[in-house]
Order: sequence, then structure tokens, then C-alpha cells
Amino acid sequence: MRQVAIIGCGQTKHSSRRRDVSVAELVAEAVYNALADAGMTMKEVDGIVCGNMQGFGGVAQPDLWLGDWVGANNKQVIRIATGGTTGGSVGQGALYAVASGRFDVALAVAWEKHSDSKEAGATTGLMHVGAGNLFLALNYGLSLKNLIATTAVGAAAGVAVYQARCYMHRSGCTIEHLDMVSAKARRNAAKNPYAHLQWPNCQPEDIAKTEIVAYPFRYGHICPASDGASCIVVAEEKIARKKCKQPAWLKGLASYSDEENQLQSEGYGGVGVIDPSEQMGARMSAKKAYSMAGIVDPKKEIDLAEIYQPFPSQELIFSERLGLFDEGTAWRYMEKGETDIQGRIPISVSGGVNATNAIGSSALQRILESALQIMGKAGEHQAPKKIKNAIAHGWGGVTNYITVTVLGDSPRR
Amino acid sequence: MKGKVAIIGYGQSHHQFDINRTREDMVFDVVKEALKSAGISRADIGTVVTASSDFLDGRTISNVFLSMAVGAYLKDESKVEEDGTNALYYGMMKILTGAYDIALVEAHTMAWTFNPHQVWFYTLDPLVERQMGFDDICLSALQARMYMEKYGVSEKTLAKVAVKSLSNALKNPYAYRKLKKITVEQVLKSKRYYEPLTDLMISPLTDGCAVVILASEKKAKEVCEKPVWIQGIGTYQEDYLRDRDLLKLNSLKKAVKTAYNMAGIKNPRRDLDVLELSARFAHEELMIYEALGLCKEGEGAKLLEKGITARNGKLPVNPSGGALSADPICATGLIRVIEAVRQIKGEANGYQVKGAKRALAHGQFGICAQKNTVVILGGER
Repeated sequence: MRQVAIIGCGQTKHSSRRRDVSVAELVAEAVYNALADAGMTMKEVDGIVCGNMQGFGGVAQPDLWLGDWVGANNKQVIRIATGGTTGGSVGQGALYAVASGRFDVALAVAWEKHSDSKEAGATTGLMHVGAGNLFLALNYGLSLKNLIATTAVGAAAGVAVYQARCYMHRSGCTIEHLDMVSAKARRNAAKNPYAHLQWPNCQPEDIAKTEIVAYPFRYGHICPASDGASCIVVAEEKIARKKCKQPAWLKGLASYSDEENQLQSEGYGGVGVIDPSEQMGARMSAKKAYSMAGIVDPKKEIDLAEIYQPFPSQELIFSERLGLFDEGTAWRYMEKGETDIQGRIPISVSGGVNATNAIGSSALQRILESALQIMGKAGEHQAPKKIKNAIAHGWGGVTNYITVTVLGDSPRR
Repeated sequence: MKGKVAIIGYGQSHHQFDINRTREDMVFDVVKEALKSAGISRADIGTVVTASSDFLDGRTISNVFLSMAVGAYLKDESKVEEDGTNALYYGMMKILTGAYDIALVEAHTMAWTFNPHQVWFYTLDPLVERQMGFDDICLSALQARMYMEKYGVSEKTLAKVAVKSLSNALKNPYAYRKLKKITVEQVLKSKRYYEPLTDLMISPLTDGCAVVILASEKKAKEVCEKPVWIQGIGTYQEDYLRDRDLLKLNSLKKAVKTAYNMAGIKNPRRDLDVLELSARFAHEELMIYEALGLCKEGEGAKLLEKGITARNGKLPVNPSGGALSADPICATGLIRVIEAVRQIKGEANGYQVKGAKRALAHGQFGICAQKNTVVILGGER
């Protein structure tokens, strides 16, 4: 594999309704920010890898017409979409494209403009995940109970509730800890000019005042639906060294899923009682990515993590599954402040998905924010320690589709 | 290209409408067939790339429940949302990085769950073209008319393209549109959708699935007696509809230039033995001939009329019947790749082109072929 690095990052300001721009203008805003950051023009780019969750904006293959807006016409365009992880898969697509030698410079572009749909995409769009199984149910004669269950698991909040309960039961984490994670996300977001839910000095008590939506989640725990886009410039070694003082080098990447988990579970008519906080896909992705990166002990070697955490429990669960803490202990470290910006291992210092969720773009933003920290360009939310290795995580599918990307301040050996 | 990638196995479904089978049933069977043809097991697969679209599958995150059927359980995977030839491109890139030795590439469409013509309508810019009520057939009809006017091509010639494809399809066990006797008159008399396109000049949308197994050079030589090598590949997207000259297939011209350069092809008429093209409408086949450099601009019809591109002609095009005989959208390009591989391996029973050593497969996506991918395939030389 040839050496590959991220040399430019661009994103848009996120909010519930970006009525000032169309989806094409929104995407262009991110792309031109990234190109400016890298000091490049579209002429030097071989092609783009792009994606969003197409049902959510009400347009099929929008890249066919908005490609022109970012100068992708008469270039290679590869569209990748994998649900919540779309951004992560898009980012990895661009990294592979350059690593393979087929591209020298590629853009990864991901976006979501929820406000373009009549109803919130995350509710109606995700219902279709389950509705697709209506055919399966009719074919195999599943009972109504199971059919309802399959539809319900489609919505992210639905499954995250079960996941959080399983985790809390096994680890001893309490709802107060979830308040702390969300308060941290809101506080961090206040330092990130692009974030959506910004709340300077937000405290756990502020979150605890909000009402319970579905136990254990309070209103203050849940991510927003944002309009926004992000873009990274990926280049091969020579160009990266020429164009960028401190590129963020690719060290390892993988994307594994364990959706079988869902099909085998009780709710689907299977016989297994499977814990949705188990996350075999995350464990395996991390294992593969670490072995590519030559990382033996992630607890010591990873300096910063950007976790895909639309719900606060997921920051705790996934930081354990990625090997940053022992099983069931992440909340203890979080409580001590070790995952704060100035802590031992800062996690989601951008505010993460909990504060900003333009779904198709969210997992690419994790890669982008990790790269910013390595490049030292994060501004007010820059972690005060030297970041040698950072891990970017994406969560999607129904419950178990994962992307993991490890970036570093020096190339892979 | 540094390093080589080979196709070591393939499989395709019988392209049809079968509402008694789920998408997972269809994909599972084809994946099994492909693994069998490669002589490997699921354990040997390193990474999986699928191609489908949420709209065409009629569900959000269409890849999630497919993981198991496609053999991706606890494996690295991704999904491209366009033609299967781009999934092939992505799978190939993953192998070229050295991260994986074997990649499984899958593409499918379940046309019965969602009307694909409706989906093409949804790809239009929602603020402008969608408001005008265009659809893919009407825009292609405009393109066909422009082409016919400019180069003096008659409706009869378009009908001949359909006759050639559909009579070839008779020998293809996987094809969907099979008519016992097919004549130019019959094509012209079939239902007229938009001037000048009639039903038989338009690709029939079906359910279908195609699977190809890719391997690195080292692995291919280890597990396969007759690997077929990807000698060249190119893909491009061109301007959106309103900024585009519909008479030109610029993205195809760029894609084929890249692919020919990689494969060292200088004279395609001489260097290629057989071609498999994704022509969704009869006139597209003629335009594609020209963009590929098989003839001069405007002379596509001559190539056809002289019988050069007939199954027993000098340069057979679509001996399998092409997209006009079955068009499961995302899979169509990958099926072309499979048909090209069958020709090179001498496995195209009933429609084998004698001595085929090098083939071109073409996939497209978007209204009026906005996006094109060209793959050059060859056996041991």
C-alpha cells in the first residue's frame, strides 16, 4: 500500500435548517473550504468519492447533478453509501483510491440536508429499513410481533435504548454518567465553530433537567438532525509532503459488520438473545485497523478518539470496544475527566455526533476532526497534548455496521 | 498499472420477475454459484463490495440485511450506489493496496419493489428538471432524435439494433426478453413510448444479480487455472443534463481512453475480439460504437448494417443479447463483465465467439449515460 495522507479539511456550519443554501451549495461550501485549506484547486484533483443517505434528502443520486457544482464533471466519481457510516465508508473509499495508485489526489465528500425532506428523514427514512422486511415476513410467515420489532429496530433511538440498558446493566454505569457525556459534548461543541448544539459550560445538572424520552435517554442526551457537509483532501506521499507541513497520515482502516446479530435475535424470530452493546463489528474493525497501523497496545498508543456517539452511552461502549479502556470501565475514566479536552485521552473533542448529526456526513467528520487534531488545526478545541495516533469511528447499519480509521502524525512503517 | 488483478469466478441470476423470492434469496444463490466457480469458500474472501441503490431496493440502508446473503458476515465490506462496474473498480483498488487478496463484488436490483423509471425521475434536479416532468425514456428519445437527424439514421436502423440483440438473447439462458421470431417490423410496431422509441428498443427492467470474484496476481495464479485479467479500466462522470451536448458521450470517451492506455490498445477494431455494452436504448449502441472508436462519428449505423457487430461478424457486440434483453440496473454492467469473461474462458455455450482473447465490457449510470465505466479483460497472453 502506498503512503496516503489527509492534507485538507473543510466543513460547513451545521444547523437544523440551512435555508440559505441548496444542497448543491451546501456541498460546494465544504468542498471549496477543503480545497482552500489544502491550497489546491479542482484541476489538481483526479476525482471524488461521495455519498449521503439518499432517501433523507428526497433525491436519488444527487451527485449526478450536484457534481457540476463542485467541479466533478469530467472526473472520476464514485458514490458510496452505507447508512449511518456513509461518511466513514466514503472517507475510506478515497483513502483506498489513492493508496491503490489509481488516484493521486481524491476528495471524500459527504453531506446531509435533512430539512429538504418533508418529514425528518431519520424517522420516515429509517422506517423503510424495517419495512423492506415486510416482504421477508410475508414470505416466511413471521408473526406480527416480529414484524413490529423489525420496524422498530430501524430507528436509531429504538435500538440505542436497548443497547444502553444492556451496557448499563453489565458495567454499572448510571444515567448520571450519560448526563456527563452529553454535557461534555455540548461544552466541547461550543468551542467548535462548525458544531450544531453549542452550550458553553454545559453541566450534567443542566442535562438532568430535561425530560426522559425513552429510559435511559433524556431529551438532552439525544443528537440533533443537522444540515451540513464535510470534505477531506486525500493525497499520495509526494504531493502530501509538498503541500502540507503536517499531513494526517493513514495508518489503518477497516469496516466490518455484524448484522447477523440482528437476524438471530429474539425480536426477529431467531433464538439468540444477543446484546446490542456487544459490537463484534467494532472489535474486528479495530483489530484489523490496529494491525495495519502496527499498534499493539491501543490503550497506550492512541492519543485521541473521535467516536460516533449520537447517544451518550455509545461514546462509552465504543471506546471500550475499540480497546481504549477495559470492558465496562469507560464511564469511570470519563467521570475522572480523562476524556476531556485536556484529559489523558480526549474523546470527541469536537462535540461529536451527539452535538452535530448530518447523518451522511457524520462519520466523515470523525475522520476530518481526527485529522485536524493531528495537523494541529482544530483551533479552540485543539487538544493541548501531542497527538501521534488518533482513531476515527463510525457506527451505522441497523446496529452493527462499523468503520474504523486510524490516522497518525507520521507515515505507516 | 502496478500489480495485476484477475477475475477468478462469477455467477449471475436468471433475470426475471419473481415475487416469490426475496432479494436475499436471489443474492445468496448467485454468491454460492460464484464461490463454486472460483473453487473457493467464504472463508477465503477478504473484502466484499456490493452495488445497489436505496431507491431501487425500496429501502433505506439497503446493504444492511444483505451482509449475510452476500457472505460479508464479519468481513470488511462497503457498498457503491451505482453500476456494478464501479463496485468492480473499488474492489480492484482494495486489492491493489495489498490490504486484501480476494474480493467479492456483487450487484443487484429488485425491479419489482420499486419502478426504476420512477427512480430515474427522482435523480433529476428537484428544483428545475424534475418540475418539467421529464423521465429517462423521454430524454433518451430526444437524444435518439437528435442523433438520427444529425447523421441521417432511420427508425429502421434502430429496430435492427433491437433485432440483433434480441435474436442473440435467444441462446442466452439468463436473458429475460426472449421472442421466438423477431423482425424489424415487429420492433417498429411494438408499443411506442416516446418518438422514436418503441417498447422493444428499450431495455426491459428486471430483477437480477451478478457476482464477480477478484484476486491479486499471486492469489489468482495459486487458485485459478485460467484467470481473466483486468487489463484496463476507466470511469468518468460528465456534465449534468442541462449543460451537456446529448450528441456526445464525453465521459465514455474519457473512460475508454484511460482503459485503452492501460491495456495498450491502439486500434480497438483489431485489438478487441468481442464487446459487451450496456445500451439501455437502441440508439445508444450506435453512439457507443463511435465513442469507443470502433468507427468514425456518425458511422455507427454502417458498422451495424454491414453486419460487422453481428454475432458471427468480425467484431461481435453483445453476443449475449446485451441490456436490451435484460436490464437489472445496478447489475447490468457487471453482467457485461461476466459475459466478457465467459467469452474469454470459452464458456459461452451456444453464443461463443471463436478465439476470443480480449474483450471490452461497458457499464453506465444516470440519464442518457451520464456516467460510464469501461473494463478491458484478457486471458493469458
